[in-house]
Amino acid sequence: MNARHRLTALVLLILIPLFPAVQAAELRYGLKPVEIAPGVWVVEGRTENFSRINGGNIVNTAFVITSAGVVVIDTGPSRQYGEELRAAIAAHTDQPVTHVLLTHHHPDHVFGNQAFDPSTLYALPATREQLASDGEAFSDNMYRMIGDWMRGTEVVLPTREAVPGELVVGDHRFQLMAFTGHTGADLVVFDETSKTLFASDMVFFNRALTTPQSPGLKVWASELEQLETLDFDRLVPGHGPVVYDGTAFAQMKDYITWLDSMMTESARQGLTLSEVMGQPVPSRFDTVAESQYELIRTVTHLYSHYEKASLESAMR
Amino acid sequence: MTQLSARTALFAVLGMVWSVVSQAGIPDDPFDSPMWTYNLNKYLGDNLSVVIDPNVRLEVPPFAEDSAQVPLTLNLESFSGTVRKVVTWVDLNPIPHLFTYEPGERLAEVIALNFRVQQATTVRAAVLDSDGVWHVGGAFVDAAGGGCTAPSMTAGNPDWEKEFGQIRSGAFSRADHIRFKVNVMHPMDSGMVGNIPVFHIEQVQLKQAEKAEPLLAMNLSESASENPMFVFELEGNDPDLTLWMRDNNGNVFEHNLGENTGGAQ
Repeated sequence: MNARHRLTALVLLILIPLFPAVQAAELRYGLKPVEIAPGVWVVEGRTENFSRINGGNIVNTAFVITSAGVVVIDTGPSRQYGEELRAAIAAHTDQPVTHVLLTHHHPDHVFGNQAFDPSTLYALPATREQLASDGEAFSDNMYRMIGDWMRGTEVVLPTREAVPGELVVGDHRFQLMAFTGHTGADLVVFDETSKTLFASDMVFFNRALTTPQSPGLKVWASELEQLETLDFDRLVPGHGPVVYDGTAFAQMKDYITWLDSMMTESARQGLTLSEVMGQPVPSRFDTVAESQYELIRTVTHLYSHYEKASLESAMR
Repeated sequence: MTQLSARTALFAVLGMVWSVVSQAGIPDDPFDSPMWTYNLNKYLGDNLSVVIDPNVRLEVPPFAEDSAQVPLTLNLESFSGTVRKVVTWVDLNPIPHLFTYEPGERLAEVIALNFRVQQATTVRAAVLDSDGVWHVGGAFVDAAGGGCTAPSMTAGNPDWEKEFGQIRSGAFSRADHIRFKVNVMHPMDSGMVGNIPVFHIEQVQLKQAEKAEPLLAMNLSESASENPMFVFELEGNDPDLTLWMRDNNGNVFEHNLGENTGGAQ
């Protein structure tokens, strides 16, 4: 090693510790809960896809402050989000969090659960199983998509079973309902006291629906018919703004019907997967964010079923 | 020190000579892939004459939602020359080659199937014309990856043999063309998963009744996906074609593709 090499090495040694300091600029979501009914708060996310800019804050979470504790509905995409959510709740009430209802196993809804007491985490049994089998892969993919926002996030399995039926917490009466349309295990929470419907990802509004574990669009559509009959004053979709009428249901049903008939017709014409992915989304869905992107995903998940149905089978 | 410099200089000169020799007739890669020249030479040979041709239309999604099933459609409808041969590959896969296709008396202008991706990569299709020039089309697909080394769904299904070899097919009239779609249940194991040896369909042919020469002959490699859905679109409206496939274990699958075998008729 000559003198110049030594000098270079020295300069590098001095520089190295500087870089983590630059990178460690604190990532914060800056969650701002909004009270949509007395004691009923919603934290609205963006209608975007996961990115390193939004840190996965693309989901709606909510909490209801009752006279006997706080009921939280979903926990956001990362440990950081969960911790900020817990802090935001504490800024509005001294009540402890008694129930954290995880509506389904998708990472943007459950990965913040680590910030809460494990004994308060409730989910449908099938959701727990799905999280146990898919959680690590989801986690890898989330690190790929949002990077450092995921720091310290680990998969935590809920310990309590969400049982469909009535759940009374203090002065609020909730109805828990199990559906399947979005992931095969979707918990919908209806706060009868405030007439607020937390529709989870059974309802997307102004944001294209996602289908990785959907049992099928027809199943989803028929479950929406049931949900729509509930006597709600306001609806909190899993993604998109809060609505006060049937607009979100109308959009969902229209969108699902279009997807289903478009894929049926494409299969009838013998279109290839890539050709279906390139189909234009009708302009009446211009307000539905990420529709062209989600079309690529949905066609990947579901089109082969439509294709197989259009073909004649023969055994070898 | 002097010896080292001399050797470095020698390698540099050799490197330059090598790159000039091997890249004669090869344009710059529009996708800037590190495997551009290597895979061209590996699959198409040396002393190549290559042009980038937008009429070799390769349709893949911008990202792979499922790294084990990424759709690819090769569309040669606007290709003007005579097609002697088509070779496709996935640049950064462990075994890049996807399929080689040699047309018979009529060209399959559209070919589609799903492939696996091991990581984000460029995908290529090279078409050899009658003047010996390779026309290359490409596309980039982003991916979480791992598609080549993930166990097949079949491998996790103890009842796989019940469905193995089941074939679904359809024929679809499209103006003066006919499109065939064939789905065959086959694990297409890549051999890159522990304790699961390579087991995949290697040969696909479209045969015409009473003619020795196949209308289409295709060789497939490990990059092809499980339970393949093949799409071939040909000129004309053929009555009797047979799809013939053979895997590396010698299993032969044959299926008649009459016009009335499903689809939109």
